[in-house]
Amino acid sequence: MSSPAAKMAHGRNARLLLMAAGFTIWAVAFIALYGMLSVGCRFGWDRIDAVAGISVQRLQLLVLFAVHVAAGVALAVGLRPPFPREGAGGHFVRWVGYWAAVAALGSTVFSFAGVFALTACY
Amino acid sequence: MACTLFLAGCSGPLSALEPEGPSARGAATLWWVMFYGSAAIFVAVSAVLAMALFRPAPLRRLGPEGMIRWGGIFFPLSNLVLLVIAAFVLGERLLATPRDPAPLRIEAVARQWQWEFRYPDGETSFDRLHMPAGRDVDFAVTSEDVIHSFWIPRLGGKIDAIPGHENVVRLRADRPGTFGGVCAEFCGPGHTVMTFTVEAHEEEDFLASVDELGNGEGGQ
Repeated sequence: MSSPAAKMAHGRNARLLLMAAGFTIWAVAFIALYGMLSVGCRFGWDRIDAVAGISVQRLQLLVLFAVHVAAGVALAVGLRPPFPREGAGGHFVRWVGYWAAVAALGSTVFSFAGVFALTACY
Repeated sequence: MACTLFLAGCSGPLSALEPEGPSARGAATLWWVMFYGSAAIFVAVSAVLAMALFRPAPLRRLGPEGMIRWGGIFFPLSNLVLLVIAAFVLGERLLATPRDPAPLRIEAVARQWQWEFRYPDGETSFDRLHMPAGRDVDFAVTSEDVIHSFWIPRLGGKIDAIPGHENVVRLRADRPGTFGGVCAEFCGPGHTVMTFTVEAHEEEDFLASVDELGNGEGGQ
């Protein structure tokens, strides 16, 4: 069984992951959209009408976009100030994590908003 | 003298900086914008560095937060936004979207280490591509073995040639002429010699050239 000191150290290390959480969501969105774009084009989903003139291809990309934006918003809201007291260094890690999450959310919207208008296949 | 030698490499049949069609012109325009833009950024950063060394007072008034806000966030962000928008607009222009009447379609089949071009009436040519000047041509690009890439630097492209998959790129030569084409994806020991010649003809000459191929003069 680990000692209380080891548990505290583990908690501090795990908090470091918060700093990367926002851009991890961005990276997952990138891989999901890139991968599903290719899959959809291969299966001709751009030629199948889903609803109101929107193709299955664009619809699935829009859903992926919305899911990752929602995850980014949830993370930023979860990390927003005021930060809880967590001992030396904890405040700083939260602060970096929060602003990294905000930057990643902006990047997600900016980088992938092309799914609304850009040509999906051809 | 070193600059002259380097710049000498910017011309010739494979020069993307001497565009002969709308697709390559778009890429070249973006290249020049990035070239002059990065030169201006280099000069600006050098000026700030010189100020920091010799006249630091104005920078001190700006403060570290101001430097980060303007130099670290606003400046690179505005540049990136402009570049991404330009890339999206230019990228959309390259797409071979369906239209009526459909442009001439030529198949480009890559294999180690040769290009085969197939024309609408079944004619074929090897490592020599004939195309009409002054109108769009859709190139349906695929491969019979490994991944290659079809690139005519003075007309535009490039696009991957993938086994079992067909990619289409729409190119146009503004005027008749002879241009170079290459495989732009490493494909084995013969990659460097996997080149082809592009001959853009006037309409009548194009038809005559392709007819000759049909008579068995395509060669290999």
